[in-house]
Amino acid sequence: MAQGASHLRIAGSAEPEPVPDLNELLTRVSRGDETAFGAVYDALGASVYGMAKRVIRDPARAEEVSQEVFIQVWQSAARFDAARGNAKSWVLTLAHRRAVDAVRHDQAATKRENKYDWSSGPDFDEVAETVTISLEHEQVRRCLDSLTDLQREAVNLAYYKGYTYSEVAESLSANPATVKTRMRDGLVRLRDCLGVEAS
Amino acid sequence: MTTDFHSLVAPYALDALDDEERVQFESHLSDCADCRAELAGFVATATRLGEAEEQAPPAALRGRLMAEVATTRQERPAVVALHKKSALRRTLPRLAMAAAFLVGAVGVGGYVNERDAANDLRADKATITALMSASDAMTIDRKFDGGGHVVLVSSDDADAAFIVASDLPGLEDGKVYQVWTVKGDSPTSQGVFAKSGSMVMEDLDGADRIAITIEPKGGSKLPTTKPIAALAV
Repeated sequence: MAQGASHLRIAGSAEPEPVPDLNELLTRVSRGDETAFGAVYDALGASVYGMAKRVIRDPARAEEVSQEVFIQVWQSAARFDAARGNAKSWVLTLAHRRAVDAVRHDQAATKRENKYDWSSGPDFDEVAETVTISLEHEQVRRCLDSLTDLQREAVNLAYYKGYTYSEVAESLSANPATVKTRMRDGLVRLRDCLGVEAS
Repeated sequence: MTTDFHSLVAPYALDALDDEERVQFESHLSDCADCRAELAGFVATATRLGEAEEQAPPAALRGRLMAEVATTRQERPAVVALHKKSALRRTLPRLAMAAAFLVGAVGVGGYVNERDAANDLRADKATITALMSASDAMTIDRKFDGGGHVVLVSSDDADAAFIVASDLPGLEDGKVYQVWTVKGDSPTSQGVFAKSGSMVMEDLDGADRIAITIEPKGGSKLPTTKPIAALAV
């Protein structure tokens, strides 16, 4: 698949509105612009919530974590520096960190493996968006499939389940040093397969 | 140890380090341009893994957030007003001290909550500047019998505190130092560090002490040991 994620997203959106410049929006947020904050939420809310839900499983907890993430974005937008990376990565990095922390803290109380997903299906007016989601999802899935089993498992358990590399090693009966190397090899392959350019 | 740290770039990008290693890695990051370069690509890749899971959040969340931000204070920009000469005279020695701390912080830093140490440093510097120039800033330097010391600067006016720990006695495997703000009997964790670390705390929320305890790796929800230090703020 030659198209990048941004192309997919533009193709799927209903209105021909320009994609908002998130870096610019975040700068406005840092000056207390609530409208800009709303726009940042509209652009990244689904990524943050969907990722949090995949990691945490419990939809209510994922919603709670998403709320914390965006409040943190509001409070510390002044720390974002566009020269050092893009706004989307900044927000999703904060979000993943929080989701992983939540999973680790809830671990004792929640059997996340067996948690049933009670969330309802998508509303009918989100169909157009769902199509683009599945394209992006499909591309990532295909790239994940191109990894070796150990690379893929290491990346999956860490990113989507919040395992530390030591926990991954234990769960896969592998050497921790090997797991670290597989994570690196896996990310290099994924990066190239997805055509990611470090900004 | 450089090669060892370098092997942590990928696990770090996937958030697969425990709290202690995360802190150690982040303090290493400011000295390792290669790590930062590789990290940028890995972070962008991890971002794609997250985006692939995109799913519409419950509709009510937006309204709750908009209501909450309307009443939530933001971190302030780094502007320090110096009105009078006397204020300037009082301020300068403290600023010099802050600068010395910052140099130390780059080397040993314990930036617990965020990925970008440089960004943090910039924001922290703003807080520290405000802190040091507050007319009620107070400094405590506590030395420990086993070696090392902790310096704490706090101010009610700035509603912030800055703590630097240097060369505290080494801990047995699986233990870390954990910093708490304590209001009455109720402690709030501020993060963990190994032997050395620095931490900026904002929104003290009327805390009356900063305490340090020894806790199992990863930190505890509440202190489980007697504080090795409890400093009034």
